[in-house]
Amino acid sequence: LPVPPPASTSTGSVSILVDSSCISGGVELITSLRQRHAAAVHVCSLGGSYFIVSNRMAVERHSQSDLAATQNRTQLAERVKSLQALFERVCLIVEKDRIKKGEASRPFQQTRFYDCTLAALVRAGVRLLWSDGAEESAGLMADLARLEQRKGQGIGVPLEVTGQHREEALQVFLSMPSVSYVHALNMSHSFGSVEELINSPVEAIQKAGCMSRTRAEEIYRFLRYSCDTFLMNA
Amino acid sequence: MDAEAPVARTAGPPHGHVFCSEKWRSSDLIRGLRGGGVKILFENELGVVDFLLPNKSSVLYVSECDIIAGNGYKRKLVRYRNTSSSFQELVLVEKSRISEQYFAAVQSFVVLDLGLALLPVSGQTGASQLITHIVLSESQENPFRRRSACCLFEPLVMAVVQKVPGVGKVRARALLHSFSSIQQLCNATVAELAPIVGKACAQRIHSFFHQHMVTGS
Repeated sequence: LPVPPPASTSTGSVSILVDSSCISGGVELITSLRQRHAAAVHVCSLGGSYFIVSNRMAVERHSQSDLAATQNRTQLAERVKSLQALFERVCLIVEKDRIKKGEASRPFQQTRFYDCTLAALVRAGVRLLWSDGAEESAGLMADLARLEQRKGQGIGVPLEVTGQHREEALQVFLSMPSVSYVHALNMSHSFGSVEELINSPVEAIQKAGCMSRTRAEEIYRFLRYSCDTFLMNA
Repeated sequence: MDAEAPVARTAGPPHGHVFCSEKWRSSDLIRGLRGGGVKILFENELGVVDFLLPNKSSVLYVSECDIIAGNGYKRKLVRYRNTSSSFQELVLVEKSRISEQYFAAVQSFVVLDLGLALLPVSGQTGASQLITHIVLSESQENPFRRRSACCLFEPLVMAVVQKVPGVGKVRARALLHSFSSIQQLCNATVAELAPIVGKACAQRIHSFFHQHMVTGS
């Protein structure tokens, strides 16, 4: 079979955030993103094993047998739903199972459960991409990041924060509901102080966080939410 | 019959049925669907669409032949995407030993360029299985659909306040007793904070909120 041509990197480099738990089992992919696709990759703690390729898109890798295993369903559903709460777009890259050396390749068994899982994912608005392995997945991820960049959704801030105060502010932003790592990162780069976010109108939060209007409204409301002391002690 | 066609295209088939384009009449795919217990209604007016399923999704089938024959299938896909309907559009792509080498290019066009959902199938038999499973499990609840949960914000506000340097659970609770929201806490003066957490901590909290975040450094 012909080797697919290397993807063009002419449109400038893209930025991708990677959860630290993706490193084990993802070295090949991360190396390929950096070297073959010239992506700026930053490893940090995202609180789930996924990648962020734009201001609104998260990508998870799954093996085909992962999706076909009935015992994984509940956990997968929880993960997908929590990603949907944080990102407008959620994408799963489904990878063909790796064949160990010396093992004969077994054809994948398409079960009713597997088919229904795929259909349900599609209906829930999850994007699916199909890959033959880590190398191809890296290409797909770089393609997604470039596509999002063309649509003006690429990650446009440095992937790391400098200084203790900014790092502490990032942690506070991260602990707010419906704020993803990339939103928190955008906000800690755009706002001059924590107070500036807290007293900002919805429009300013939306702009600084590079997020949807709905998400900015949620943050605005959350910051003004008046706690019930009785419920707080419960 | 013609008068009913537009109804078919907007309402979709009844439970357990699929609307199917005439061109599939004597195919393995239809035999597979029948064997799986799906009822077939042939329909002349589906246009570029191959199948309509009861859960308001439509299916376009891209065969191995389509892919190998060249770029003609792309025009069909664009027309499919442009028939703006209320149906969820699904593209089944035959990924066989022969069409495998073109799959990456087809996927890139379907998913990245057109933004359609793609599911690979091994062939007509695989596709008939997949469609059967979708049709017969149509009434099941979708485990991946997010329900907007109305949860209490109190624990979430507590968690945020505890991320402020120097503030633990006890202090967070005490602070929220006096200043019930994050905004009120942020706008409190050192003098207002000091009776609750002590002067040093009050100073620290205040400067956390108000200190300018230095760029660079």
